Amino acid sequence: MIDKQKLVKIVGTGMVSDREEDLEKYSSDISFVNRVRPAYVVKPGTAGEVQKLIDLANATKTPLVPVSSGAPHFKGDTVPGNGGSIIVDLSGMKKVEFVDRARRVAMVEPGVTFEELIPLCTKEGLRLNMPLLPRKSKSVTGSILEREPVLMPGYQWDMSDPLACAGLYFGNGEEFRTGQAAGPGTLKDQWKVGAVQKAPYGPGTASLHRLIQGAQGTMGIVTWMSIRCEVLPKMQEPFFSASHDLDQLLDLMSWLIRLRMVTECFILNNTNLAAIFATDMEDYQRIKETLPPYILFYNIAGYDYFPEDRIAAYIKDIAVMNQRIGLDTGKSAGLISADGLLKKIQKPCDEPYWKLCLKGASQDIFFLTIYDHMERQIAAMKEMSEEIGYSPTDLGLYIQPIVQGTGYHCEFNLFYDPYSYTESDRVKDLSNMATKSLMNMGAFFSRPYGDEANWIFNRDAATTDALRRIKKIFDPNHVMNPGKVCF
Amino acid sequence: MGLEQYQGDVNMCCRCSACKFIPLQHVKSYDFSYVCPSISRFQFHSYSGGGRANIISAGLKNGFNYTDKFLDIVYNCQMCGACGVSCNYAMDMELQEPINELRIKCVAEGKTHPELERVIKTLKKTGAMVPVQGKRGDWAKGLDLKDATKEKVDVLFHVGCLTSYNKDMHKLARATAQILKKAKVNFGIAGDMETCCGGRAYQMGYEKEFLKQAKMNMSMIKKAGIKTVVTACADGYHAFKVLYDKYELKGDLKVLHITEYIDMLIKEGKLKPKKALDMVVTYHDPCRLGRLGEPWIHYKGKKIPGDRFVFDPPKEYRRGTKGVYEPPRDIIKSIPGVKLIEMERIREYAWCCGAGGGVNESNPDFAEWTATERIFEATATGAEAIVSACPWCEVTLSQAIEENESSLKVYDIVELVAKAL
Amino acid sequence: MALSKEIYRELEDIVGEEFICSDPAIMPSYHGSDLGAVVLPENTVQVQAIVKTCNRYKLQFSAVATGWTGSFKKDIVYIDMRRMNRIIEINEKNMYAVIEPYVITAELQAECFKKGLHFNVKGAGSNCSAMLRGHGHLDQSTSGDDRNHLAIEWVTPEGEIVRSGALGSTDEWFCGDGPGPSIRAILTSAVPPGVTPGVFTKAAIKLYHWAGPPKYDIQGLSPKYTLPEVPKNMMARYYSFPSVEKMWQAEIRLGENEICMELMGFNVSMVAANIATCNEDDERIFKRLNKEKKGPGFFVIIAGNSDNDFAFKKKALEQIVREAEGESMKSLEDPETEGILIAQCTRVTASIRETFRAGGAFSSIPIMSQRDLTIKWAIGAGEAKLPLIKAGHIVDDGGAFFGWGVEQGHVGKTEIFCKFDPANEKAKAAVEKWSKEQGRRAFDESYFALMMGEVSDDIKANMCHYDKWWIALTRAFDPNDVAPQGGPLV
Repeated sequence: MIDKQKLVKIVGTGMVSDREEDLEKYSSDISFVNRVRPAYVVKPGTAGEVQKLIDLANATKTPLVPVSSGAPHFKGDTVPGNGGSIIVDLSGMKKVEFVDRARRVAMVEPGVTFEELIPLCTKEGLRLNMPLLPRKSKSVTGSILEREPVLMPGYQWDMSDPLACAGLYFGNGEEFRTGQAAGPGTLKDQWKVGAVQKAPYGPGTASLHRLIQGAQGTMGIVTWMSIRCEVLPKMQEPFFSASHDLDQLLDLMSWLIRLRMVTECFILNNTNLAAIFATDMEDYQRIKETLPPYILFYNIAGYDYFPEDRIAAYIKDIAVMNQRIGLDTGKSAGLISADGLLKKIQKPCDEPYWKLCLKGASQDIFFLTIYDHMERQIAAMKEMSEEIGYSPTDLGLYIQPIVQGTGYHCEFNLFYDPYSYTESDRVKDLSNMATKSLMNMGAFFSRPYGDEANWIFNRDAATTDALRRIKKIFDPNHVMNPGKVCF
Repeated sequence: MGLEQYQGDVNMCCRCSACKFIPLQHVKSYDFSYVCPSISRFQFHSYSGGGRANIISAGLKNGFNYTDKFLDIVYNCQMCGACGVSCNYAMDMELQEPINELRIKCVAEGKTHPELERVIKTLKKTGAMVPVQGKRGDWAKGLDLKDATKEKVDVLFHVGCLTSYNKDMHKLARATAQILKKAKVNFGIAGDMETCCGGRAYQMGYEKEFLKQAKMNMSMIKKAGIKTVVTACADGYHAFKVLYDKYELKGDLKVLHITEYIDMLIKEGKLKPKKALDMVVTYHDPCRLGRLGEPWIHYKGKKIPGDRFVFDPPKEYRRGTKGVYEPPRDIIKSIPGVKLIEMERIREYAWCCGAGGGVNESNPDFAEWTATERIFEATATGAEAIVSACPWCEVTLSQAIEENESSLKVYDIVELVAKAL
Repeated sequence: MALSKEIYRELEDIVGEEFICSDPAIMPSYHGSDLGAVVLPENTVQVQAIVKTCNRYKLQFSAVATGWTGSFKKDIVYIDMRRMNRIIEINEKNMYAVIEPYVITAELQAECFKKGLHFNVKGAGSNCSAMLRGHGHLDQSTSGDDRNHLAIEWVTPEGEIVRSGALGSTDEWFCGDGPGPSIRAILTSAVPPGVTPGVFTKAAIKLYHWAGPPKYDIQGLSPKYTLPEVPKNMMARYYSFPSVEKMWQAEIRLGENEICMELMGFNVSMVAANIATCNEDDERIFKRLNKEKKGPGFFVIIAGNSDNDFAFKKKALEQIVREAEGESMKSLEDPETEGILIAQCTRVTASIRETFRAGGAFSSIPIMSQRDLTIKWAIGAGEAKLPLIKAGHIVDDGGAFFGWGVEQGHVGKTEIFCKFDPANEKAKAAVEKWSKEQGRRAFDESYFALMMGEVSDDIKANMCHYDKWWIALTRAFDPNDVAPQGGPLV
């Protein structure tokens, strides 16, 4: 095991902990991954310290587990895969380097949360393409590295968005800057001539930012990231379209995205919409009863020039589309107003976190899919729930179009009581069963976590082999979060 | 003349591949995007217009190495001119002319194709590009037509080798004669005195034989005092109108294709198609009536030294746009009951029937393959018949139809007109 | 030099006698290279077999689709992708198309238009492979660079078939990322010399909504094809501005307000090349437009998905341009010219006119990055062209550059051309010198670094040693060194 003093020498006295309660925090999370206690938790404050930690890890063959968001963690990626690991907690790296209105970009360190960054963007007339209701402690960098789906699919031109550039240290300790940030010269040299770190591709042929996303910290550690921001609208007009028939909503949603009429746009089922607004179980039941099974939410934005005209034009055009499909559109669904939901989703989730509010825990099963398969997959999930004794009506559903409508993130939220063995076993079984079964129905688990990752990678031996070859280059000593992804 | 004059042009080729496709602006589908049969069939870039330009450019620089593959490339081309039209939408350079000149050079240097040699041997012996059965004027027996070499006529109907000697094609000559008679045109034929126009020999690269035929024809025409020649064959039209002019043999001779003449007669009220035919047809532009049928431009000038490929005086390129496109369409539209539906590749960017450049002699499979592509395109329009204006097209398309067991019918435009009169 | 009989026969067994050739006759049409052989595979299995054979004999290969100019190592096996030209799927609901490498843009676009869809057409033109990575006239609304690829089928340099993203796991093409880290990081295709080693045999590309007609009713004769009328929901204008700064401000606002389908920062020389039907005409029109323009400018096409949408976009466009003191060039408002430009610039059918027609060659410095930054550099690079113009080495374009905002102005592309006669050695040398100097200046002044052609060690070092990683990656996938760098897929 590594000598604590070596760590102290790098990050300073108060920034290394081997106290039981600190180690315990990182030994497990809400997911079903095995408990493994780390050896230390270290909190670097600078990129230089991060590099030294990686160098030390390489010298001593010590596993590092990078973590940027605060608890609670849900997916097992921050729980060490091996004993003796060091948690590299980046949540203290909170510098916001800049928010640049003209180029629509912000640069932050990994500890900066949505709650911290949103007001700074708003001040500059910008906004972030957010995931759905991140918890308050969620790191912006962490969310983007995880390729979490974003609420405004029209502005997600590429799966890697909204990542612009990143500064990082690969697993072998070498520094790298992706995209435009690579050079010439240092970031400061670039700023001097007016360069911000915006263009994601390159340098050269490779686009290595894609390699650090979805990697769960297995390729290296990101010490800053520049983020593509969007213009803050001058006016917004959110709406609901609700139906018993999911296909009708999918039809409308696909056209809204295709014609770039809307900003935030997604479907929730009544369980999830009620859960987002409920304060407790009773409240949840009360709200849910008023809601139709599926609710499509969309927001029309007007920007600096003739915002009223833009919004009015699209409201009219959408009315025609609704008529064709046979849908009604409105400002409310049951007890929930569209304005209320818009307000909620444009910031992080209030405490307590919505997924924990109902029963204390949630197991999320999420995958990417296409329009053609989704209804079948959802029906199958309901059947499996029924079979295993988890009421299908308790299943939360979130459908998020991705990458300008080329696919969909489909997420089931299985709320359960973590202190009930029966409930947690049932949810675990259902999660395992559903993952296997949905894979066979065309569900693509692009972000595999926990035990399921093995089955998922087993389906694609060629890609797995390619990834392992790549990993060897960037992390030859296998110190970065071993046991995760396919490494 | 000669290949060398085109060195600057072939050097301009940027390998953009525009020559493989119809002018890109006109691409309406995946299925009918290509315009060059040779690249479509043989796939190696060398078979495209641009590939040929690259080969010529290198040859002019380093010398030509006539390997079997080289000759395969040279002779597997219908010389249809489509590559040049597409190229010249964007580029100012000659493409079809250097390709013609390369063939001529090959033949001049004895690098010939055995099948084409055989055809030329026949030509030399019989004055015909096809096997001779009977006499050239046999088709006219009983029609009581004037002999233009002996009697004064306003119009010489030059029938052509294929129509004269292929009994299946006699119907075209007879239909043409019937139409001209009906319109009371003072026309005649040269009968057994007619000889090959030489156009197909030129396409095959046999410049000398072409010139010999051209001179014979022009001598006969001059002697007979003929002012106007009408051909019902696109190859003949191209030879008389374009090639004779290119080689400065044509003089004041007026050359018309039968479609131009019939169209004129209809518009002057001298012909009136009356009988309804009730059919949906599509029209196939023969290469040498269409894009290659436009008048020759006699150009003399020099490249202006400097950054641009420009000439003094400015050079006008033959882009195939002044070919005969409207007359056949107007004729079809004038026939009661006939509905014309266009294919995707038409006019200056029409797909070749496959018969040109001696390909139906040197590589009949390739000719048939090319025709089959056209049959598919015609069928895709929903038309029941494909109408053309050249016996070579009719023969080649008919063979492809038979081979593919297609129900599509083939007509020459004169057949339709004759039926409708 | 031909391959040994044994190897030739092996390759012949794979593709068939008709689709392999090593005859010197064909070499001039393959970039004048002295190739071992040219092979034309029909499908992925054949590509894989060719690549495996190359590995067995340690033979280098390069795969090329449509292929403009290029230079290739002696004796390599040249895999000409011409026969792999199928459109596998156009998925309307999920907005993607799956294609093989030799599907050209004009073909795919024609099929997409029928379904109300289109895609990013590269500036190289609609005669080029639709699978390319790159930028083009429609970047404003259809993105660019490596960002339009979804799943890719990749035959690695060792001959393994990797199917990225959802394709490898579920046989679906809609996503190329994952599971886990995305190997799209290295599957970035075709900008020479940094081409992903191996062969892309199929790729899914993103599609976008097309508000224009299902097909253009083109009329007229070559070389002047026109539209009989401008579609009612479309409008094209060329605006010129008093300064670059004003132009950029308008460009940014148009992007932020999502107004334009196309915002193409043509200079007037390129507009002239587009509408001129010959070189002489080109020169005349350029001189006229050069007098008419107020300053730098751009060309826009707006397209409404409805009357309401069109009315809003037109109103906002005019207001934004007015505020930036821009003016529409009246002579280009002529409906015939407007029609020509709409048809040509959405189908990108006049790139050859813009590049090769004038002198037969052009040299270009393209930069994909932050638009305002690259414009700053390009002003200097344009000024540096003026002596070459004066000396008659390059075509007079007024020292102009061009470029546009990508993804509604989020990022950008800037490019600058020198058009010249390649047979003129003096011109060639002057252009090479200009290119070198301007590339170096971009680096020295910290704007960007050019990574095409020979890149000096100090540039590599200052660009995070990107080359080192790339070499390591290519070695990992190409242990037998059979896939040399270089060779455009254009």
